[in-house]
Amino acid sequence: MNQRTLPPLGPDTVVRLSRQGGVAAMPRLAAPREIQFSDCSEDQRGQVCAVLERCLPVAERAVGGADQRFFQVELRYREANQPSEWIITVPEQRAPGELVELWKRGLRTG
Amino acid sequence: MTPFRPVAGFIPPYLLDRIIERGSERQRACARGTLQHVRQLRPNPGPPGLQARQAPAPGRPGQPQRHIHDAEQRMELPGVPRRSEGQAETGDAAVDEAYEALGDTYRFFWDAYGRDSIDGRGFALIGTVHYGDGYENAFWNGEQMVFGDGDGEIFQRFTRALEVVAHELAHGVIESEAALVYVNQSGALNESISDVFGVLTKQYRLGQRADQADWLVGAGLLTERVRGRALRSMAEPGSAYDDPLLGRDPQPAHMRDFIVTRDDNGGVHLNSGIPNRAFYLAATAIGGPAWERAGRIWYDTLLDRRLPNDADFATFAGLTLTQARARFGDASAEARAVAEAWQTVGVEIDP
Ligand SMILES: [Zn+2]
Repeated sequence: MNQRTLPPLGPDTVVRLSRQGGVAAMPRLAAPREIQFSDCSEDQRGQVCAVLERCLPVAERAVGGADQRFFQVELRYREANQPSEWIITVPEQRAPGELVELWKRGLRTG
Repeated sequence: MTPFRPVAGFIPPYLLDRIIERGSERQRACARGTLQHVRQLRPNPGPPGLQARQAPAPGRPGQPQRHIHDAEQRMELPGVPRRSEGQAETGDAAVDEAYEALGDTYRFFWDAYGRDSIDGRGFALIGTVHYGDGYENAFWNGEQMVFGDGDGEIFQRFTRALEVVAHELAHGVIESEAALVYVNQSGALNESISDVFGVLTKQYRLGQRADQADWLVGAGLLTERVRGRALRSMAEPGSAYDDPLLGRDPQPAHMRDFIVTRDDNGGVHLNSGIPNRAFYLAATAIGGPAWERAGRIWYDTLLDRRLPNDADFATFAGLTLTQARARFGDASAEARAVAEAWQTVGVEIDP
C-alpha cells in the first residue's frame, strides 16, 4: 500500500492534471489538462514522469478539507493488458513548482 | 499516508468489492486498503482536538479574541501581525474587513446559539489576509482562516463577503463537532452546513427575515466583468453565474440531478446545492429570522453525537427531523417544514 514508485507507464498512458477544490470551486477553474503519451516525444514523457516522481513524496490521501485546494493527477494506463488507473493528490501548499507549471502551461516542445 | 490513491477512493463500496475480485494484485491491495479506510470512518470519534500549535490565549466568554495577519502576497502562515483584539482600524481594507467579519461571526454564534467561538471554549480567531499573489480562494486550515486578494479579473478580495468569512469559520466549528468527512455526501454536507451558517451570519448582521434575504454565497465577490451574482445560490442552486469564461453554475437542486464525479472530492461544492436548498425551503416555510428556528435545528443536528462523520444526506435529513420534533414537537409546523423541505429536494428520510 505504501507505493512510492510509479507504475510502468507505456505509450498508451494518459495523464490528467487539474487543480481542485476551494471555496470558489468552479469546474472551469480546475482547468484540467490531458497529456497523451502517444502524442509525446521520449523526452516529453521523461519530463512528465520526472514531475510525477516529484509529486510522490508530497502526495496525501485526504486533501481539500475546508476549502484547501489541491492538485489531482490521474493516470490511466495499461498493466498486464488490463486498463489501470491511479489518482495522486497533492495539497496546493506542497505542490512542486514543476507540477504547477505543467498544469498551467503544458509540455515544453522539442 | 498513501501517496497513490486508486480511483476507488471516490466510488461506492460495491464497486470496490468488484475491483477486489477482478483487479490486478496491486489494485486489489489498494482497494482493500481503501475499504479498510472507508470502514474506519464509521464510528464518530467525537470532536478532534484542534491542533493549534502556538495558539493565542482564548477570549472570555462572549468576547472574541481576534488576530489578523498579513501574508504580504506570500504563501506563508500566519504572516505579519496587523490588528489584534481591541486595536484600531488599520486602513488596510482586507485587514479591517477580516477583523469585522470574524467579529460578526463570533457574535452570531454567541448570540444565536450561546457558542463561544470555534471550539465552544473561546478559540482565538486567527485570520491571514493578502495570502498569495492574486489568490482566488479562502480556506480554514485546521488552525486559522486564510483569505486571498482575488485575481481582480474574476474575483475580488475574499474578505468582502461576510458570508464567505463566516463560511470558513464554520468549517472550524464543523471540524470540532461532527467532523464530517470531506468527500462525497458527507463532504457536501460539510460544505452545505458552512454555507448555511455563512448566510445566517449575514442575515443576523443585517437583521433580515428569511423572506428578505438573498440566500447567496459570495455575493459581491465576482467582478463586474463576470456574468454572475455570486458563487452559489441556496434558493436556486445552479443559477449563481452563467459566464463565457466560468461556464454555468453546475449545482444541482434535487437528488435526481446529483453529480457523480471524482473531481472536487466527489463534488462537495456541487452537490451541496441539494441540502442548501432544503435548508432554504425549511427556513422560508417556517418564516421569521432563519437563524432562530431552522438554523437552530441545523445547529442541534451538527452537535448531535448520533450524526456519524460519514453521514449521507438521508441520515442527516433524518436527524434534522428528529431535532425539529424534539425542540418544537412531533406535529409542529417546524417539523413539517423540515420533512417537506427534504422531500422537495428528493432526499428520502429513513422511517
Ligand atoms: Zn467550504
